[in-house]
Amino acid sequence: MNYFLKKWGSIFNLRISSKIVSCRKRNGRLVFAQIICAFFLLFSFQASAFAVQKIEFWTMSLKPKFIPYFHDLVRDYEATHPGVQIVWVDFPWDILQLKLITAIAAGKPPALVNLSVPWAEEMARDGLLEPLDAYLTTPGQAMPYTDAALADLRFNGKVYGFPHYSNVNVIAYNRQLLAAAGITQAPQNMDELLALAVKVAAKTGKPGYAPALGKIDGFMMQQGLDLIVHGKAVFNSPAHVALVKKLAATYKANGFLKDKLFAEDNFPAVVDAYLGGRLAVMVSAPTAIKRIQTDAPDIYAQTGIFPMPAGPTGINDGGWMFHFAIPQGVKSQDVPAVAEFARYLTGDRSQLAFARLAGVMPTTKQALANPYFKQLPTNAGAAEMASAVAANSMNSARSLYVAGIDDYDELRRFLVKAVEAGVTGKADIQTSLDEAVAIWNKKLAKVQRP
Amino acid sequence: MSQYRHSSKLAYVFLAPALLLLAAFSFWPVFYGSYLSFTDFSLMRTTHWVGLDNYQALFGNDMFLTGLKNSLIFLLVVPFTQIGAISLAVLVNNQLPAIRWFRAAYYVPVVTTVSVVGIMWGFMFHEQGTLNYVLLQLHVIRVPLGWLSDDALAIFAIMFVSFWRGLGWYMVMYLAALQSLPSEMQEAAILDGANRWQRFWRITVPMLYPTIMVCSIMSVLAALKAYQEVDVLTQGGPMNSTFTALYYAYDQGLKHLKLPRGLAASFVVSICCIGIAFACLKFLKPRHRE
Amino acid sequence: MKLAAKMNHHKILRIVSQYLVLGVIAVICIFPFWWTFVVAISTKGNMFEFPPTFWPQGVSLDNFIEVFRVIPILAFYKNSLLITVATVFGKLVICSLAAYPLSRMAFRGSKLILGIILATMILPSEVNFLVNFISMTKLGLVDTYTGVVLPNVVTAVSILLLKQAFDEVPEDLLDAARVDGATEWTIFYRIVLPLITPWLATVGILTAVEAWNEYIWPSIIIAKPEDFPLSAGVLYLRGTYGSSTRVIAAGTILTVAPILVAFLFTQRFFMRGMDGAVK
Repeated sequence: MNYFLKKWGSIFNLRISSKIVSCRKRNGRLVFAQIICAFFLLFSFQASAFAVQKIEFWTMSLKPKFIPYFHDLVRDYEATHPGVQIVWVDFPWDILQLKLITAIAAGKPPALVNLSVPWAEEMARDGLLEPLDAYLTTPGQAMPYTDAALADLRFNGKVYGFPHYSNVNVIAYNRQLLAAAGITQAPQNMDELLALAVKVAAKTGKPGYAPALGKIDGFMMQQGLDLIVHGKAVFNSPAHVALVKKLAATYKANGFLKDKLFAEDNFPAVVDAYLGGRLAVMVSAPTAIKRIQTDAPDIYAQTGIFPMPAGPTGINDGGWMFHFAIPQGVKSQDVPAVAEFARYLTGDRSQLAFARLAGVMPTTKQALANPYFKQLPTNAGAAEMASAVAANSMNSARSLYVAGIDDYDELRRFLVKAVEAGVTGKADIQTSLDEAVAIWNKKLAKVQRP
Repeated sequence: MSQYRHSSKLAYVFLAPALLLLAAFSFWPVFYGSYLSFTDFSLMRTTHWVGLDNYQALFGNDMFLTGLKNSLIFLLVVPFTQIGAISLAVLVNNQLPAIRWFRAAYYVPVVTTVSVVGIMWGFMFHEQGTLNYVLLQLHVIRVPLGWLSDDALAIFAIMFVSFWRGLGWYMVMYLAALQSLPSEMQEAAILDGANRWQRFWRITVPMLYPTIMVCSIMSVLAALKAYQEVDVLTQGGPMNSTFTALYYAYDQGLKHLKLPRGLAASFVVSICCIGIAFACLKFLKPRHRE
Repeated sequence: MKLAAKMNHHKILRIVSQYLVLGVIAVICIFPFWWTFVVAISTKGNMFEFPPTFWPQGVSLDNFIEVFRVIPILAFYKNSLLITVATVFGKLVICSLAAYPLSRMAFRGSKLILGIILATMILPSEVNFLVNFISMTKLGLVDTYTGVVLPNVVTAVSILLLKQAFDEVPEDLLDAARVDGATEWTIFYRIVLPLITPWLATVGILTAVEAWNEYIWPSIIIAKPEDFPLSAGVLYLRGTYGSSTRVIAAGTILTVAPILVAFLFTQRFFMRGMDGAVK
């Protein structure tokens, strides 16, 4: 008995077992000790490889809403692919990266992992993701994904993920307020949108537009203005200053909703104001439009939809794509099977079903061309129109972010504060931007990324 | 101690598991962590020595500096907690009926897990939450305040939660100390005609001095090491205003996986803690002990 | 007569004001729990409106049932129980083994060892989680409960508390046993340990509460959310997509209830533990 326990102890739980063994106890205690050993064994035990091929895929913050969706998807796939066992694990987004890196470091990565584009860019740069160009399509199949989606995932010329869902913004407007201001046509560019905001404010006393200026970096990038060129901050260039001047002018004319204009997340305030009829235009993804239907039916009845104008370089606002990537460490002989599941997971049918459920936008051409998006029922409300309008914009929806900078959040804060000072008129725009550029350049100079 | 001299070997056998674990999980981290903070350690790559790079980046980093500043601000919690705890202990030391239930009530925040505390206070601090309602009704504030969304207020909200949890903990310690005080001096003072106030200040507090010293040091160290409340309430926001030094270490080390940066930050915190502990012990040692 | 009445009057005033102060503070301590409970058990009304409702409306257990559907809360309970039992067991065994020689055996280096143990109280242990995480990765103990339990199994405070407990055992008892030829181990296990059972219970309960409530270390070490203990699992509930606030509140109540109930029954152990710690 002692020998037996010692043996098991030496493999798994050395300290505990030998301690129990070294205590001379009566028989009953020995049995108890065995039970304790088994107890611990259960939890140090690592699953051994079974004959069935196990594919584990990780998603980000999708439980519990999509439990039925994924259970059905997995069940259907397993039914048509005997010998394959799919395991679904979901993580809250803030611990996903830690668990992923730990798993890769321990040599036990999941087969597929749900990532956002900036994270994928970072990981691809560190060599932690597999390039997937060869696996995106089966031979002879046309590329199912939109160009914008693939462009998002193309780093150094290779594509590193299977696009999943994304989003794009549309303009939801309060018909009454716009009519009162005499506006009948969709704004074609940012200048017209800003002018609309000013006009509405002048005629109705209510602000017209509430841009998320706390995310001014994305705003500038969408307008085709890069923040960093060749490793140096350039957002004090004449073009940038001109943009901020336009924002300042609109602010002065009360065209903006002042509440939380520069907050990190002004969306709750925006929704609140729009639902209360205190804001003329709400720029958001179609998902949010659905919320209006439940929360403020009277405003919903009055809501019309315009497409959000693309920026001068053709980029649509609000793109933020999630996709599935294959981490480094997955055995190469397993990759084809994993890729096959990934294609199923991100294929037209699955994406369409997911988009309808979640109110997000798919990234496959067929799904976007589906009657769900293209043919509106006769009693289409704002939500359906929003989806249809968004579907049209998806091909130019890019996920915008600044890549490769340590402590980016900290740098962004300087930019936001500078823009805030300039727009609210507290400081001269050129000067504040110059100061922020100096701070950025100082930090950028220290960065030595391989 | 018995007059038998025991075999040291047996003693060490008894001590072995404990010492092994302490060595592995309490001492090793200090040395290895300090070493790693001078490297570019990463789980995936080979490690190289980088000297003071991490520390330079640390002290040039806005979030860490905010963290240091906030850790110092957090020290404000200490006097409030200690004074509150002593007062509560004195009040609760009476033989009033049902006093046991009050004692239990004050200790409940201590036995509740931090994650739950964070969720509950998240409700309280909501802009349309109870705290704002009560303060509005009492005319203390005029508009609802964003306790967790305003970057000037959030750190104080977090400090309040820390205070709320700390009260019961220190109250119980002071209570134990109070109950072990000899009562003769109090009785003599009553006979001499001293009133409650005088008795409290002149007799109780000086006799509690050792306990006050110990609790204050514990409280100071806890304030410097505060990070769990930040994690459950604001995750460092809004606008990075609620970072504390150790939360920065946790955030950088485990959320962004920049382990050397996190280690450097935790090293700085360790040095501060050890330094303050020694300083307190040296300067606050009571001059004569009864 | 009048003086006596006046003094009585003062006394009553003092007692009333004491109860008032105590009451207000008790309300501040307990109110968040009450409010969360109200939110969890109500199904009607907007919880974030002015004036807020302090009393349940539309009482039903729906939200609680929803919690069971949304997160694997039974698994969380089981995991918490496992971790707690393992930690308490490990701590009682190892710390009592360590405290005994420090208290009752004169051996070379005992002062040094005691000093080392005291030193760990000064070292800020919270900062160790990063390196402990790295150590666990290297030891292959990531995603095991062993990895969760090991760092918490030895604490200086427990060793010192148990040392005090051992100190209180009369020396003559031990000497008599030694004269009779009993080995040190038998003395420890058969004689002394049973005598300090109340202290063991105290340390056990304090450890159990700490282990049950710990959320950061398990969430770092354990890989899959399904294996989290309850304290980390309830935060997972908050981070999930589309969970209504009421369901989160219900999950919170389910997390907190066992500890509160256990606490109300074992209050005196906490107080005794504090006594010991203060000394």
